[in-house]
Amino acid sequence: MSKSEDFERWGGAAAWTSGIELTPMQTLMWRAERHPVQSSTSTVILDLDRAPDWKRFVAATEWGTGLVRRLRQRVVDPVVPTAAPTWADDPTFDLGYHLRRELVSSREEMLAQAAQIALRPFDRSRPLWEGVLFEGLPDGAAYVLKIHHALADPLGTVQLLSMLQSGKRAHTARKPVGDEVAAPAAAEPVDLAVSGLRTDVATLPEAALSALRRAGVAATRPQAVLASTLRYGASVRRLVTQAAPASPELSPRTGKMWSFLTLDAPLEQLRAVAKQGGGTLDDAAVALVLGGLRRYHERRGGAVREIPVGVRVSLARADDLGNRFAGAIISGPIAIEDPVDRVAAVRGEVLSLHTERALEVLEAAAPLLNRMPAFVGAGALQTAAVPDAFVLTLPGPPRRRYMAGAEVQGMYVLGPLPGAALTVCLVTVGDTACIGVNVDASAVADLRELEECLVEGVEEMISVTASTSG
Amino acid sequence: MSGLSDEVLAAIDAIEAGPQGPTVGAFFDLDGTLVAGYTAATFYGDRLKGRDVSPAEFLRTVVTAVDGELGGDPTRIAHVAFSAMRGESEEAFADLGERLFRSKIAGTIRRESRALVMAHQRAGHTVAVASAATKYQIAPVARDLGVEHLVCTRLVVEDGQFTGATDGPMLWGRHKASGVRAFAREHDVDLSASYAYGNGYEDVAFLSSVGNPTALNPHRDLRSAAARLGWPVLDLSDPVGGSLIAAGRTAAALAGMNTGVVAGLSLGLLTGNLKEGRNTAIKLATSLPMTLAGVRLNVLNRERLWTHRPAIFVANHQSALDIPVLGNLLERDFTIVAKKEARWDPRTFVGSIVIDPAYIDRGDSESARATLDGVAERIRSGTSLMIFPEGTRSATPVLGPFRKGAFHLAAQAGVPVVPVVLRNTGELMRRSSFVLNPGVVDVCVLEPETDWSTDDMSERIAALHTKFEETLARWPA
Repeated sequence: MSKSEDFERWGGAAAWTSGIELTPMQTLMWRAERHPVQSSTSTVILDLDRAPDWKRFVAATEWGTGLVRRLRQRVVDPVVPTAAPTWADDPTFDLGYHLRRELVSSREEMLAQAAQIALRPFDRSRPLWEGVLFEGLPDGAAYVLKIHHALADPLGTVQLLSMLQSGKRAHTARKPVGDEVAAPAAAEPVDLAVSGLRTDVATLPEAALSALRRAGVAATRPQAVLASTLRYGASVRRLVTQAAPASPELSPRTGKMWSFLTLDAPLEQLRAVAKQGGGTLDDAAVALVLGGLRRYHERRGGAVREIPVGVRVSLARADDLGNRFAGAIISGPIAIEDPVDRVAAVRGEVLSLHTERALEVLEAAAPLLNRMPAFVGAGALQTAAVPDAFVLTLPGPPRRRYMAGAEVQGMYVLGPLPGAALTVCLVTVGDTACIGVNVDASAVADLRELEECLVEGVEEMISVTASTSG
Repeated sequence: MSGLSDEVLAAIDAIEAGPQGPTVGAFFDLDGTLVAGYTAATFYGDRLKGRDVSPAEFLRTVVTAVDGELGGDPTRIAHVAFSAMRGESEEAFADLGERLFRSKIAGTIRRESRALVMAHQRAGHTVAVASAATKYQIAPVARDLGVEHLVCTRLVVEDGQFTGATDGPMLWGRHKASGVRAFAREHDVDLSASYAYGNGYEDVAFLSSVGNPTALNPHRDLRSAAARLGWPVLDLSDPVGGSLIAAGRTAAALAGMNTGVVAGLSLGLLTGNLKEGRNTAIKLATSLPMTLAGVRLNVLNRERLWTHRPAIFVANHQSALDIPVLGNLLERDFTIVAKKEARWDPRTFVGSIVIDPAYIDRGDSESARATLDGVAERIRSGTSLMIFPEGTRSATPVLGPFRKGAFHLAAQAGVPVVPVVLRNTGELMRRSSFVLNPGVVDVCVLEPETDWSTDDMSERIAALHTKFEETLARWPA
């Protein structure tokens, strides 16, 4: 039974990569990347119940890279930005460069090493991933996978990993392999730029004409155009300026000292608190982080009522896990003590974003920004307001899975810190919420205290349902 | 036709089908939701008229308002207004609120919002007005709607004067939402079963606090958010304002009335039958202007207007339009009772020739009684009487208490009472307006009541009052 499920999933993984060009948003992040301060790298830590057989693990990874072609491809950027960057097979692909194993004696050591791995920039001329299997941990092993946003965003990474894992511990012989697709023609930076330019020149008259037409239409109803432009501008201004000011307790940030923490929470109880507050798991995750930060601020004597929190908003329908998202900043109600009330307040803040017509402003501007030199795009990303914390919820596998015979016991995503003091990702794995926290160690005076407070934040959320149902 | 849109009727049905009782809350925003327009603008307009505003304050207000529209802090405008009120007397401001309610705001309460409020009240829900406005704006509206609870911005008062500061945050956006949640905790209200109605883009947090949010006549940004969030949208009809066209039609209607009176009376003089002349005048003077103004009548149980004549017709009173409407309904052989002072009032003079009212000297009870004896005699001889037992026009459709006079007359003359319920005349012609708007007046004639006597009069009047209220609340199909 699980075998047919596996095959179905693996078939999905083979089809997972689509399109040979980077999307405008990926292009913007690719070109604007200034690792690690403005980074697009996510790291996934998988807790395994035992160290898998290394040979089998290597063979499984080899198989995975064959199935998901993109893992053997690199990004080719045109010499001048006249075209989008393109994926092309890396003729020098060598699994040994991307996958290795190391020995550690404790989980803390593993987490510290994982942070160091994450901080090192990628070789941008090779496939954009790196995996390290950590052995020697007292209760099993850990696999750390670092992956670039252009290859997969955090959501895509979790999906990809869930797809590649197996439903059973035993080896599956004769696994499906990717179709022997003809490799895309070896792309070359100068050719890309020239062909992009050629397309531009060919479409120029048409583009000029349609721009003229639009200007003509605007000229016939200047009031409507002006009103709508002003409304859009007002919305941009609200999005950029109206979130709470940054907390002094979470400054100064350098973005160069990453520290990884992991926490667990029972998913069912977390969902119950979310429901009591009329919110979703995403809202509960934000409320949980705020609860931890409230305690931290209290202990440090900082009196802050609201902090800016970066969240992800669906651009399609609310609460719909579609694939059109925008990042936005809310004022996180950090002063509310009651967890349920906090969930409700977060809910209100997040839903209020749906009145903002400029929510997708960065996405809308990406194609234009991409035609400019890279520093313009980087500047645009920097002017986007920066929150104190990013909070993200990602759906993981609904059941326990295996990697090369080792059971996956936890899956933690450690996102980058583009200006924030914390990035928190909650991944649902079976009945557990695996919470990965990346902290800018230069912004936090007492890391241990922060970790304690976040653990208490989890307990506080869970105690709500324990006290009402029992 | 019930006068409510199908969407509103469906919403009311859903309220009736849903959970009942005080643990269910129903929260209504004020500006743009319960009332059309902004009460704050009405208050500010009054300030401007009274020249309480210096040019500097005016400029500051305008700049702040524009900045709020352009993505600045939209609540700053209110704080500018609050701080300008420093030193003003709370009592005087509350009086101003009452005055503006009667003259302006009462007429802007949406009929369908009122129907929704009443549906929640019938379901026993805990109904509250939740608004960033102050209680001076809200309280008169809430009182009129029978809403007990206010969740609103509070102003600090010291020694009876405003300090210009607010007590706690202004209940706008997230603060309104947290105010509602705090109210729910205090009053044991289950928010997941509760209802909220709002219209502004800032109301999303407020609306999302409850299980049953409704975007009511939403601002364009709330409308798009509601579509994304899957929230129901209700578009209610606004009380019609006096448009230029309506004003023109009103003028035509007045001309029509006079023409009708003159034509009818001329006919009476020509034929030598003054009574028939009067009847023709009534018919022309009431139907001509209503046709010209575009007012139509939709009458339930019209036959009851004729089965028990002569009778005393009692009706609720909201508008100057009620008189031509009733005149049109009764058609012939009726009169009214008017106070003596009204005899030479130029506005009613022409009408009084036609109807020949029974004038009462209120200051002289002896002569009043004599007049009433005369009226009773007139009724018995075939002239019906039309009386508004509330005595005076109400500012809103809320029914005032009934006075006993009409029923004493019924007992004295030994004639039945025919109750006539009028709806939305107040909307077509507001209390203090001279402009008549086109539309449909709903009329329901209730079961005529006979055999009046002083013994059980109070109980029967109370019962009849209840019947009026019920009919207004649940218009018979």
